[in-house]
Amino acid sequence: MTRSISAGLAFGLAATLASVASGQAALSTQGFGFPTGQLSSRAWGTGGSIAEIDPLSPVNPATISMIGTRLINFQIEPEYRSVSSSGGIDRTTTARYPVVFGAIPIKSWVLGLGASTLLDRTSTTIFPSTEPINSSERVETTNRERVDGAMDDVRIAGAWIPTNWLRVGIGVHGIVGHNLIATTQSFTDSSQFATFTEERLFGFTGFAASAGVELVSKLFMGGVSYRQGGNVQMSSNDTVITKSKVPNHFGASLAYTGITNSSIAVRVAHDNWSALGPLGGPGFTAVNGWDSSVGADMAGPRMLGRTVFLRGGFRYRTLPFQADSNTVTEKSFTAGFGTTFANQRALADVALIHAIRTADVPVTERAWTISIGLSIRP
Amino acid sequence: MKGESVLNRKFALTMVALLTVAIAACSEQLDAGKSCPLLCPEQEINLVDTVLDAVASDTTVLGIPPIGSETFLMLSSHGDTVQTRAIIRFDTLQGNFTAGNGADSLISHIDTAQIVLPIDKPDSLHRPKVPITIEAYNVDTTASDTAVAALAPLFRPSRLLGAKTFAPESLLDTLRIPISTDSVKDRITNGTHLRVGLRLVSAQGYDVRIGTSLNGNPGTLRLKVSTDTAVHPLVIQPLSNTPPNVPFIAGPLRDYTIVLQGNTTTPASRLAVGGLPSRRTLFRFNIPPRIVDSTTIVRATLILTQLPNRGVNPRDSVWVFPVAILASPVVNDAGTVLRFVSGGGFLGLDSLRLAPGDSGQRAFQIVGLVRTWHNTTEEVSPNAIGMLSGSEAQLPAEIDFFSMEAPAAVRPKLRITYVPQVNIGLPK
Repeated sequence: MTRSISAGLAFGLAATLASVASGQAALSTQGFGFPTGQLSSRAWGTGGSIAEIDPLSPVNPATISMIGTRLINFQIEPEYRSVSSSGGIDRTTTARYPVVFGAIPIKSWVLGLGASTLLDRTSTTIFPSTEPINSSERVETTNRERVDGAMDDVRIAGAWIPTNWLRVGIGVHGIVGHNLIATTQSFTDSSQFATFTEERLFGFTGFAASAGVELVSKLFMGGVSYRQGGNVQMSSNDTVITKSKVPNHFGASLAYTGITNSSIAVRVAHDNWSALGPLGGPGFTAVNGWDSSVGADMAGPRMLGRTVFLRGGFRYRTLPFQADSNTVTEKSFTAGFGTTFANQRALADVALIHAIRTADVPVTERAWTISIGLSIRP
Repeated sequence: MKGESVLNRKFALTMVALLTVAIAACSEQLDAGKSCPLLCPEQEINLVDTVLDAVASDTTVLGIPPIGSETFLMLSSHGDTVQTRAIIRFDTLQGNFTAGNGADSLISHIDTAQIVLPIDKPDSLHRPKVPITIEAYNVDTTASDTAVAALAPLFRPSRLLGAKTFAPESLLDTLRIPISTDSVKDRITNGTHLRVGLRLVSAQGYDVRIGTSLNGNPGTLRLKVSTDTAVHPLVIQPLSNTPPNVPFIAGPLRDYTIVLQGNTTTPASRLAVGGLPSRRTLFRFNIPPRIVDSTTIVRATLILTQLPNRGVNPRDSVWVFPVAILASPVVNDAGTVLRFVSGGGFLGLDSLRLAPGDSGQRAFQIVGLVRTWHNTTEEVSPNAIGMLSGSEAQLPAEIDFFSMEAPAAVRPKLRITYVPQVNIGLPK
């Protein structure tokens, strides 16, 4: 595959990125939506702990220097979620395509082009209400609010290896995407009333820049990255509605690599999501959040003539958007495996994630997510 | 190496299968809402209700549908209140028939001549209480033979072609009126046409609905031209050749109804639908653009106040339909406009079943039509609506409403419930 085709494929896939999630009737999809984390399936298997040293996770641009050949990566992540409240249990199934990525070595550099989902807002909320028409008349309605779309991060990154122990990378990010909101109010008395439907399309335009380093020794590997957010604006019909800043991001991973083909890692990351506050309506707030994880990626048994890597991890983080003015936190337990096949021209990673999301409200959210990543060296 | 290749293929197939299963599992089921209202989006849709004097004009036009356009011929007799006549034209009478031996033969003898009338079978509540008689007259004339003034005098004994009295229980689905065979033979021989006028005679008021060419089941002329039982009777369909060379006018006049006696005027303070002659009403609206263009209308109710009409069958209810106007906005004449209307129920327009003798406020739901006026101009879509009776020209029932000329409390009004512009989508 030529370079241009690789880039075209990456752009094309980026455009179709990110369809997601349950309704806003969930803890995880408040505000502008759910932050999928920008993690590869491999990183998910370790709870995200290796994200800053994982070339397939689009957070640290320095990591792509490890890619020695042309590579295309695609990932799918269906999530099965249940939200329990006094009103009952909502069970939803969400299709996600959170990461697509391509890289190609050019002389001493490796260039990468990819897109990942920053915030997924796709949701459908259905709820009944009784609306007053005048002082003497009220009408029963069913309200349906469907939101389609996401805020995506399209990154062009370059990395090189100045010395054996140091890898350096930079990235330029375009923050793009849209939210299509469709509100429908239908009336129980359809003989008198016609359904109200309103649609509104919001587009996001913004930019950011990132830089990262990766340090390598015999026993340890570390990665640090930082993304500086630029301006981001939300527009509708060519009219700018709101402006704010893309959240800054900092992350660091430290992995012990003293065991052959294995790593035991910890990661801590911070996102100042509050920068997105002005992007919402009056009174809208987002909260900064820490993201901590620990996990391992161990060389497991050889099966079918190949090494199978076994992974496990734990992650704890704060979600950016509050539910009923209460901060939402997420605990995730993860497990996964990965291996190569097709004469090592393909790499498959599978992770299973069980997340428990809570806030100081009488609602609990649990989710099972299957993350499947496929990388191909064309 | 070969074994490894097989294993690679097996593993690749396993991964593809896993991927396929995962993608198949990705069919989304997003609907949620049980945690509402705690986690749900803030409800921003507010309903505003207002009653407007938005009727810019209203008018009732008599004579719609025009003669020849009836789906039933209405033969009514209600003393000196309502009197109608039905006319059936047989402008071509064949002069030969196929004899029993298969040969073509000239008609030289008519054994039996009947007018066969398919009728709308009355239910038990609408059977006559007394026998009824239907008389058939020769209404052929050189005068303008769609004019009531020309036709009415022709229903006289000297022109009687035949008659038959029917007992109430004999009113099933077809009535057969024997008519003079000599008269028919004379027309066949001379090659002239036969035009039959029907009159209902009854000691009590009654209406008979007869099928028409328009609904595909017209009254016919049945001739038995031979005593040979092998010869099939001739069944002659209605046909109209006048006015000559104007088929689009002549065609519908194969069968039609004329009203000799009826409510031939509607006062300015009233609007009416149905009745005799049949009438329709046209409303034109003037809804403020701030509502029709800048909001979403979820309910539009045309509020009319009915006043009792105790003329004919005041308890016999009929459907009243609001209908959309299909005529181009360049057509201004109300009578013409009201001839080009949609069917009932179009755009969800709601109908009401009303009895002529009742009174009170009536609400017609017309939101489906009013919504089509959003961001349009009168030049594109006239803000108008028609009103008609579902039994127009079939039953004499007339539903009356107060018009704009009436006192303010009972004038037509438009009640609109709308959602003002909403600012949806911004997280709060």
